[in-house]
Formats: sequence, structure tokens, C-alpha cells
Amino acid sequence: MDSEDDMHDAHDVESLDDDFYSGDTPMGSEDGDAEYDFVDNESEDSEDVTSHRQQQSYTILSVSDIRQRQEEDIHRVSTVLSISRVAACVLLRHYKWSVSRVHDEWFADEENVRKVVGLLEKPVEMPNARELPCGICFESYSSNEMTAAACGHPFCSACWRGYVGTAISDGPGCLMLRCPDPSCGVAVGEDMIRMLASDEDKQKYSRYLLRSYIEDNRKTKWCPAPGCEFAVEFVMGSSSYDVTCNCSYSFCWNCTEEAHRPVDCATVAKWILKNCAESENMNWILANSKPCPKCKRPIEKNQGCMHITCTPPCKFEFCWLCLGAWSEHGERTGGFYACNRYEAAKQEGAYDESERRREMAKNSLERYTHYYERWATNQSSRQKALADLHSMQNEKLEKLSDRQSQPESQLKFIIEAWLQIVECRRVLKWTYAYGYYLLENEYAKRQFFEYLQGEAEAGLERLHQCAEKELQVYLEAEAPTKDFNYFRTKLAGLTSVTRNYFENLVRALETGLRDVGPSGNQANANKNTSPKSLLGGKGGKSGKAKVIGTSSRSGDEAWTMATIGLASTAPTRTRGRQTCARCANSTGRFGLCCLLLCD
Amino acid sequence: MTSSATPSRKALSKIASNRLQKEVVEWQVNPPAGFKHKVTDNIQRWIIDVVGAAGTLYANETYQLQVDFAEHYPMEAPQVIFIPPAPLHPHIYSNGHICLDILYDSWSPAMTVSSICVSILSMLSSSTTKQRPIDNDRYIKNCKNGKSPKETRWWFHDDKI
Ligand SMILES: [Zn+2]
Ligand SMILES: [Zn+2]
Ligand SMILES: [Zn+2]
Ligand SMILES: [Zn+2]
Ligand SMILES: [Zn+2]
Ligand SMILES: [Zn+2]
Repeated sequence: MDSEDDMHDAHDVESLDDDFYSGDTPMGSEDGDAEYDFVDNESEDSEDVTSHRQQQSYTILSVSDIRQRQEEDIHRVSTVLSISRVAACVLLRHYKWSVSRVHDEWFADEENVRKVVGLLEKPVEMPNARELPCGICFESYSSNEMTAAACGHPFCSACWRGYVGTAISDGPGCLMLRCPDPSCGVAVGEDMIRMLASDEDKQKYSRYLLRSYIEDNRKTKWCPAPGCEFAVEFVMGSSSYDVTCNCSYSFCWNCTEEAHRPVDCATVAKWILKNCAESENMNWILANSKPCPKCKRPIEKNQGCMHITCTPPCKFEFCWLCLGAWSEHGERTGGFYACNRYEAAKQEGAYDESERRREMAKNSLERYTHYYERWATNQSSRQKALADLHSMQNEKLEKLSDRQSQPESQLKFIIEAWLQIVECRRVLKWTYAYGYYLLENEYAKRQFFEYLQGEAEAGLERLHQCAEKELQVYLEAEAPTKDFNYFRTKLAGLTSVTRNYFENLVRALETGLRDVGPSGNQANANKNTSPKSLLGGKGGKSGKAKVIGTSSRSGDEAWTMATIGLASTAPTRTRGRQTCARCANSTGRFGLCCLLLCD
Repeated sequence: MTSSATPSRKALSKIASNRLQKEVVEWQVNPPAGFKHKVTDNIQRWIIDVVGAAGTLYANETYQLQVDFAEHYPMEAPQVIFIPPAPLHPHIYSNGHICLDILYDSWSPAMTVSSICVSILSMLSSSTTKQRPIDNDRYIKNCKNGKSPKETRWWFHDDKI
């Protein structure tokens, strides 16, 4: 680790941005064990990384998909059992829409099934009389004014209508309606409803029937996004519960909270409960205004990234979360300065018991506040990023394409960057709930976790800042900017680096930080890195290094300097295999430095 | 009388009062054994005397049932409670509320006051111990402010009694 740390320090002194490739993610280390496997196959691209994670463990169903499936199931049961469509529907509803269960039960003991669900083998005629008393209003009617279910128990049509109407307005229980005669129990199916219910009630009934198909079925659930009408069918036993609906909302299939990978459902539930309990205390945290740590004027946060610059003349640059100077951020000298890490107030000297208790209570609130603020701020940052993504897709991309004379197809990297930001904000947010419940005394785990989280967070801040602030320059440019390709490389690079940091983090949390050891935590984490994930970008964009090497920019000097410094030890490319002068191997393994050097 | 425990009710619908008239007549001709109901002007609330059946734990004890009919009776179930002191029974709370499915979820408009009475008497007669439901105190606390038993989400766990 020492050698790596030394390197960071050197770079960090120069600039913040150079973190990007000096990175705390180690470069090819001396023993040749580069931490990132690189896959030669250039067709492996970012889509593969996302799709291999999802592996279609679910299907999104629209309302018409649902109706069609329901109709098919009803048809199948009605054909196999040779019963009416209405009876098949009653049976399926009773056995929670499991076709195989209906078949099993029916063929095991048809007589019993009929009794349980209220289906008669042969319908019974109404009593043969000119006049019959209605079993509800007790008035007598001529038999042609009476209606009965298959059991023949006669009720007048007014009473039937009242009975059916009351049942439908009482809720989905109307799907299991039985004959009003208390001794009977014969099912009142959809055919009777069509005959007796008002148009409005018929619609309600058919909605209940549709809902039942999703809600009573173990394998399906509605998307919980407000107003969304899609449902999700989940393949049981799939490794990840995260589901993304066609409405773009991502949620956990298991607990239906917003997607919270890599944190488990129990932690999420505990955290949400905790937030409810503390909500009054925490309201102030959500306020988007804080005093500038230097000049004390109130600063409003209106951007997604945490790098805040106070208005002139102060211009102090600070971190929104910890209010520390931004220049110190990411610094690794003199111990570990990280915004993600909570340090309890130092307890010096002797405390008496009551003072100690007061201190503890204060610390526990402060500790919660620390995690909650970061959780909530990442949440609002994510919302902001989502809005930015949409405005990018809907208007800005076209404008940018115009200004920079670039076909929109060449600007996909910007959308990919924003998608990555949105996803990373979500993950980062949940890691703060995770961190809150990570035991104080699991020191090694906590250190490892905070290391990975700090890396991921720093990477994300750089990416978010680049996508949010640096892009603005190119959007506002009057004419195509020469160094737009430089920007492209930087943003695409930050996107893949950040993706990589987050995949490390996610994987480590999902394995319960098991890889934690007395030393070499980072190396372990990096061995877990997916071979596909580092470059993730589209293969075959040769000439990246050249572009960067020759572009000279006045701004962002350190970045350029470092780039040129690296580029001067020019990489050699061999067909099919990448060789990088800096990471000094041709095994196809890449360190971060290679990102800009090699392609 | 616990008039406070009775939610204000809308007047009976035409259908409801027609049906109740028929029930009154039927009751006078053929009252359920063990029950007495004096017809009053108020057809919307019946007060019924119950006498415990001979040979049961409640033999010779007399209690009073209060039956309130809703606007859309019989589509809606009537509200039936014992006027305290209510019989000591594992499904009858000290405020007179009765845990009996046909009074709530399993109500059918083809049931009548008379059929309710028969069910309640059979519930009393089959009891083997004179005691309150185990959750009596908790339930009574939740029912302050004159809550109707129809607002309770009942959980009918004992089919035998
Ligand atoms: Zn009728
Ligand atoms: Zn019937
Ligand atoms: Zn949805
Ligand atoms: Zn969950
Ligand atoms: Zn300031
Ligand atoms: Zn900070």
C-alpha cells in the first residue's frame, strides 16, 4: 500500500482532477498483479455489464398483457377441465391463479373442489310455482321475475341488484360472491355480475378481477410508482431483487421499497422506520440552505454535485456535506480525510456518569444526523440528476449536437454519464443506511467499508461535477470547440472509473465485507472487480491518447500536464492485446493509468 | 341504555322498512324460542330479552340485546350488541360487543333478526366456561368514544363456540 499512497500524494498536491487516474484504485502494481482485469474482447461493452446484472429475472406486464395472460389461463383451465369460462375463472381465483394448482386439486378430488368453491355439477331449477317469495325482501313475485344462481334459490331482481352492488362497493371480496341463501354457498360468477350490475360496477368488478390476477399471484406485483399501471412478474430464486419498470422506476421486488441494492431489505426497513421516528428532528437537514463556512452568508444548493462555490467575492469552494474546504477533499496525507466518515466527538478527561450519558445521547443523534444527511442529500442529488438526464435527452443533446457539430449518436457518452450518476447516487444513498448499522466495533470492516465508500463517493463527485459544470461550457459555446474530444474522453473515462468504484462497493457489501483482512483490503476488493467493468466503453476508439496528448488547454492544467507526462511514455499497441507503457504489461490487464493511454 | 354507543343513523330506506314490517309480523306469529321483543314505535331499534336455555351455563339468566338497523338493511348487517351487563362468555366483551361472524363479514341479506337470535343463543348454549375474551381489556380501551362493533376488524378464530 505504501507505494500507492505515495503516488496519490504526489498527484493530489497537483490537482483534484488528477485523482481521476492516479486514483486510489491502484495502478498496475509492482508485482505485476494489476487489479483490473481487462478483457481483450472489445465487443464487451457497458451494456453487457448492466444486462449481465439484470439477466431478465423478471418481465414487465402492461394492462393488456395481464388481460391476455389471464384470459389464456382461464381458457386453458376451461378446456382442460371441460367447464365453463365463468367456472374456470371462479376456480382460478380461488387457487390464486395457479393453473397447475387448479389442475392438481381438481383431478385429485373434483367433488371436494366443487364443494369448496361452490360449483355445482348440474344446475338446480327454481321451484316450480307460479309465484315465489323472494328470500331477501320476502315479497312474492311471479317466477319469471325471479333470478337464481346455479342453486335455484330465487331472489327478485331488485334484491339481486342490491346484493351485487353492495358486494362490489365493499371491495374485491365481490370476486368470491356466493348465493345470498346462508345455507347455500354456490358461487355467483361473472355471468351473473354482467347480468345484474350497473355499468360502473361492472367496470369496478373487472378491475378487481385484473388486480386479483396480479395481487393474489405469488409471482407478480404492481409497480409501486404512483400512477404506474405496469406489473412485474418475477422469476423466483433470481439473485437480485432489483427491478426496473417500463416507467423507469426501480424498486426492490421483495419489499417494494425503492431499489436498494446492495443493502438488504431488513436494513432498509429499519432505516425507514428510524427516519419516521426522527423525521421532525431531521426536517431542517433537508432545507437546501446553509451558511458558507467562510463568509457565513446563506448558500443555496441548486446543483447535484456536492462541490459548492460561494458567490463572489468570497468564492470559497467547499463540500456541501461536511462544509470542509473542497481543496482538502480526497487528500490522503496526514491520515484519512473523508467526508463519508463519521467520527464521534473526542471524549477527553474524566466524565461523571450523567455527563457521559448526555455525551452519548448527543453522539448518537449526531451520528444518525451524519448518516441521514448524506442519505437524504444523495437522494435529492439523484432527483436533480434524473431531471438533468431528462432535460439532456429532451433538449440539450440536440442543442449540443448543433453547437459542436457532432451527430447525436456521437453524444451517447453524455447520456451514459448521467445514467451512471443517477444509479450511483442511488447506491451511495443506501450505503449510508448500511453504514449507520455497521457495528462500531467491527473496526476492520468499517475501515474497509469507509475506504470503498470514500473512493466511490469521490469518483462520483468528479463525474457529477464534470457532467454538470464542465459540459455547460460546450453547451454555451458559439462555435464548435476544439477540445470537445478532450471532454468526451474525460467524461467517458470518469463514467467508467466511477462505475468501477461502485461495482467494487456493491460487490463488497453484498458479500458482507467478507474480504476484509488485516491488510490488503483494497487489493482484495479489486480482485472482485468484474473483468468487464473497467473500460466498459465502446471499443475501437483509437487515438484517445493522441487527442489528449496534443490538446493543450489553459484550464485544467494539472490534468493536461499529467496526461502529457503519461503520454510521453508512449504506449505501444499490439493487435488483439493491449500493452501499456505505464502499467508495463501486455497481459491484457489494465491499471487505471491506461485508461487515457491505451484504447 | 348505552345510547352513546349508537352511531347516528340515517332513516330506513323504503325497502328496509318494508322488510322490517314483515319481520315484525313474522316475529309476532313465530318468535324464536327464548326471545321476547316488545314492539315499540321505533322500528329501527329493537330491544330483545334473551333467556339462557335450560341445561346450559346461562339457564334462567336474562340479558338484553339491542339491534339497530341501518338505512340499507338487509343489504347492510344490523348492529347487534348486548346491553351491559353482558353475559360472561369467551366471545362477548364486557361492553356488550359480540364476536360472531354473521354480524359482520358473513352477513347475508337472506338472514333475519330471528336467525341472528338463534345463532346467538346457540353460541351461548355451547359455551363451557363463563369468562371474558382474553383481550377484553385491550378491546374495551380501543372502543372508548362509543365505537361501533362494525368498525372492528374481527378475526373469527373459534368455530366451535
Ligand atoms: Zn326481493
Ligand atoms: Zn343458493
Ligand atoms: Zn412502473
Ligand atoms: Zn427490499
Ligand atoms: Zn462565502
Ligand atoms: Zn465533504
